[in-house]
This record gives sequence, C-alpha cells and structure tokens, in this order.
Amino acid sequence: MTGPRHTRAWLLLAAAVPLSVYAALFFGSYPLSAAAIHEALTAWLRGGPETQDLVIVRDIRLGRIILSFLTGSALAVSGGVFQGLLRNPLADPFTLGISSGAACGAALALGFGWALPGPSALPLAALAGAFAAMGMVLGLSRLAGDFSRESLVLGGIVVSTFLGALIALIKSLNEESVSAIVFWIMGSFQGRGFDHVGVMLPYLAVGGATVFLLARELDILALGTEQAAQVGVAVKRVRIALLVGAGMLTAAAVSVSGIIGFVGLVVPHLVRMLVGPDSRRLLLFSALGGGILLLWSDVLARTILTHGAELPVGVLTALFGGPFFCLIMARRRTA
Amino acid sequence: MRVTDDRGVEILLDAPAARIVPLYGAFGEILADLGREEAVAARTAADDFPPAIASKPSIGTHLRPNAELILGLSPDLVVQLGGRPEALEAVRFLEERGLTVAVFDLENFGQLFSVMERLGVLTGSGERAAERTAAMRAELAAIGAAPAGPQPRIFFEARYPNLLAAGQGSMVAEIMAAAGGRNCVEAPDKLVRLGEEEVLRLAPDIYLMQQGPMNPSPVPLAERPLFRTLPCLGTGQVFTVDQALFSRPGPRSIEAVRQLSTIIANWKTEVRP
Repeated sequence: MTGPRHTRAWLLLAAAVPLSVYAALFFGSYPLSAAAIHEALTAWLRGGPETQDLVIVRDIRLGRIILSFLTGSALAVSGGVFQGLLRNPLADPFTLGISSGAACGAALALGFGWALPGPSALPLAALAGAFAAMGMVLGLSRLAGDFSRESLVLGGIVVSTFLGALIALIKSLNEESVSAIVFWIMGSFQGRGFDHVGVMLPYLAVGGATVFLLARELDILALGTEQAAQVGVAVKRVRIALLVGAGMLTAAAVSVSGIIGFVGLVVPHLVRMLVGPDSRRLLLFSALGGGILLLWSDVLARTILTHGAELPVGVLTALFGGPFFCLIMARRRTA
Repeated sequence: MRVTDDRGVEILLDAPAARIVPLYGAFGEILADLGREEAVAARTAADDFPPAIASKPSIGTHLRPNAELILGLSPDLVVQLGGRPEALEAVRFLEERGLTVAVFDLENFGQLFSVMERLGVLTGSGERAAERTAAMRAELAAIGAAPAGPQPRIFFEARYPNLLAAGQGSMVAEIMAAAGGRNCVEAPDKLVRLGEEEVLRLAPDIYLMQQGPMNPSPVPLAERPLFRTLPCLGTGQVFTVDQALFSRPGPRSIEAVRQLSTIIANWKTEVRP
C-alpha cells in the first residue's frame, strides 16, 4: 500500500468515527424521532433543561457509544502490541491472564455482595483484579529471569488457569450469584455510561501514550532481542513498558465491559493485512477499526431482541469473530 | 396415597410420607403451612423459613443437592422443583437408587394450590390443604374485589447492576395481577435482561426492587443517575421488597400480594393522575 493510499484509508476511518457515533444515536428501544434527538443535542450544547430525551440521548446512548468505542480501541491496540511483542499472531489482550484477573475481581465483588458505593465499584474491583493478575504474570516471568516471550505466555497460562479455578470456587460457593458473574464474564455495556468512561480514561491515556510512544521500538524488537540491543534499544525496559502499557489498556477495557473476545485478535490481523506491519500505523488503524467494530456490535446487541431485552455483546463478537477468524486463516493458507 | 407429579409420573406411597426431603425451599414452606413441619427431614442450604427449618440438616443447594446425604436420611419422599434440566439430574440419580421423588412446577397461583393439594394427599393432610387453599383463594378474591380503578404499571427489579427484570412468565407477574396491577415488562420469560433505556421507555408507575440473595444491596434509585427522570421516582413510588416473599412461589406469596395491594391502594389514592 502506498503513502497516499494510507492517507486515504486513514481519512476514511477517521471520518467513519464521528459518522458512526452520530448514526448510532438513532438506535435504541425508546422511540425518539430525529427531531427529538437533534433537539436533545441542541439543549445539551446550549445548557437547556434536563428532559428525559436528553438523558436518553446524552447519558444512555452517547455514554454507551463512547464507552464501547474506547473499549474496542483499547482491546484492538493492546492486541496489536501483544501480537508484536510476543511475536505470536494468536496472542490477544487476554493472553497474559488479565481477563481472568478482571473476572476474578468482579466475581469476588458480585459473589460476596461487596457493597462498594456507586456505579464505579464493580469496574474498580475488576480493574484491581486485572492489575493483580498482570503483576502475577510479570512476577512469574521475572522469577524465570528474563521477561522472555515463553516465560510471559507460560505465566499467563498459569495465572489464567489458577484464577479460572478461583472464579469457579466463588461461583460454587454463591449459587445465587452465578448468573450475575456469568453475565458479567460474557461482556456487556448494559447500564454503562460516562461514569465508566471516567473510570477507564486515566488508564487509557497512560497505557495508550506508552504504547504509541514506543511503537518504533516495538518494530525494532520484532527484529530480535540482540539486534534491538545493538541499535540502542533498552530491550528489557521497553518490553516491560509495552507490557504494562498494553496491560493497562486491556485492564481498563475489561473492567468496564467484562470479557469481549476476538476484537483484540481479529482487528490487528485485518489491519496488518491492509496497512502492513509498521506498528505506528497498525496501532492507529487498529484503534479506529476496533472502536467502530465494537460500537456497532453493541448497537446490534441492544437492538436485535424484542421487548427491550439485550444480548451480551461479548457473545456477539465471539459468534461473528470466530468464524470470521477461521476464514481469514484459511484464505491466508491458500494464498 | 397416589398423585401424579408434573412430569406425568405417578407417585404412589403406602402410608403418608413421614420423612420428606424438599429440594426447594418453597416445598418446605408448604409442608410447614400444612402442619407437617415435623415430617421435613432436611433443608437446602439457603432455607431459613419457617425458623424451625433452620435446625434441620442441610443437604446442599437446590441445583446441587448432595445425593449421599439424602440417601443417608432414608426419606420416604423427595420433592424437587421442575423446569430446570440440571435439577432433574439429581432426581434421576435418586430414583435409580430406589427413592420416591415427586417433581412439581411452581410458577403461578394455580400451580401453587395444586402442589399444596397434592402434597396434602402425600402427607395425609388433604383436609388441611383444602382449607388452606380455600382460604388463600378467598383472600386473593377479596383483594381482587377491591374498588376498580386504573391498573398501575409495575416494574420488578430482580437484580442490579446488570439489570434483570421479572417478565410475564414469573410468579411476580402473577402477584402483580392478583394485587390489581400489571407487569409493564412485556417479554414472556421469567427473567429478562434490560437496558436502562427500556426502563425509561416503560416509565412504570411503581418500581419494586427486591432485596435478598439475588440482589443483596439494591442501589437506591435516586442514586442511579440514568434513572433520575423516571416519574415514579418523583412520586415516591419506589419500594424495596423481600425476595423471599416475591420471587419464591409459596404460601408467603399471598403476603406479597397483600403488601403490593397496599402499595397499589396508596398509589390510587395519592398518586394516580
């Protein structure tokens, strides 16, 4: 792909973001005409009275749209980083056990009814679990002495398995909470909004800045540890910084949404096929593509059923993402 | 003693059951209501009503009863709730080991009365069952005969966050109808996952949130920013109710109807447009 084509693709995707946000405002179970939506937006911008229409358009729909976009972006970017860093095309944001950690934090809060006040309590419990898991994986890898790809993946498997058993234990001890825990794990933006954007934003900012600033080093690391060291990259420090940065993105995403699979696996793959392996481009395009994909997946999840019932968006992404990923792999093989 | 359970299986006992293991709390409550509390040989882990039940040995949970403990109690009757395939796994296991297991569905008042009558037959307390169901029917009829007026549209929150509401197929919908209101959630299921936007669309006249193991610490509606424009919040028609009364179909469901009919009567006199 040539430079101007990259620019065109970038412009197209960048334009698709506001268009998607705007178009998604029109979907929901509450009947709102285009005029009512525009009136609510105008009232918001002019500081007008707080009507029910305004609450629905701004706090419920827009809050959820922005949250799903940011979550999709975070998952796709961290997927791109993990795939590059671990030099494993099947790595995804959950490879290092971060999702299991978040799920464990949420399961503890839900299972034992920890009555932390406010809508941010559950995401914060999940976030704490995600960071604890990441710390455990990094600790295990450090015990192995090198933060190598193998020790990280192995640490991720060990931590995931252990935390998976812990979640099963919590479910087993709290039968009444099983459905709440299972539903959280399936991934959903039901009931989420600007409060949750507030919870994830600091981690997105720090994690995103870290991985984008180190994107060039990520490319150099792909050449091999020795080669990277020869050109002056502080391999160990950069690797840890990238892991922590991408881990923060994953933790922030999972803490507000639950576990949403395949976005972080499929999007970087697709983007790599379109724009090549350059990490700066890959991460930028993944951020936009992942965000748009999850935004529309959530629109589908909250409108596909009748009577206002909702589907967990994580189930939808897995249902569509799984076969789609198989198709990509098959086509690559035949190519 | 001969009845047919809700699987269509004939349950035959030579004598009234004297050692019964109810695998769902409501059956223990029904047996106590029939005056056969002493026949209850065990309880499931979460059961604490009536208080005397608490001293009975626990045999695990409703969905995962401990077969070894049940067999050890040598009951002459085990009663299990129908509907869930995983609950019937335990039934198969116990039947294969020679125990008599009756499976009853319990989702509405009609089924509740039918179960009470059939348990009455199996425990030799048919007369008491007839009296109790007649009294309960009469009370429901009396509540239903309250002065007519607009029916409030009621929303029942089973759990929040990850909002779960009672649908038309729930016992709660029956309680609402018996109390003179109606469930504003139209989905036919027992429980439905809904977004906040749908609650705003439904704009219920009365909002009930249950408190119990499923929803241990309900967040007050006023503290949920997305619900702040709900009209029922402004009119003060938001109530916390006991999960054990509203979500467990049993003799105490009548108490739930009584409580809700009081709420509805107040709504009619103080709030209705």
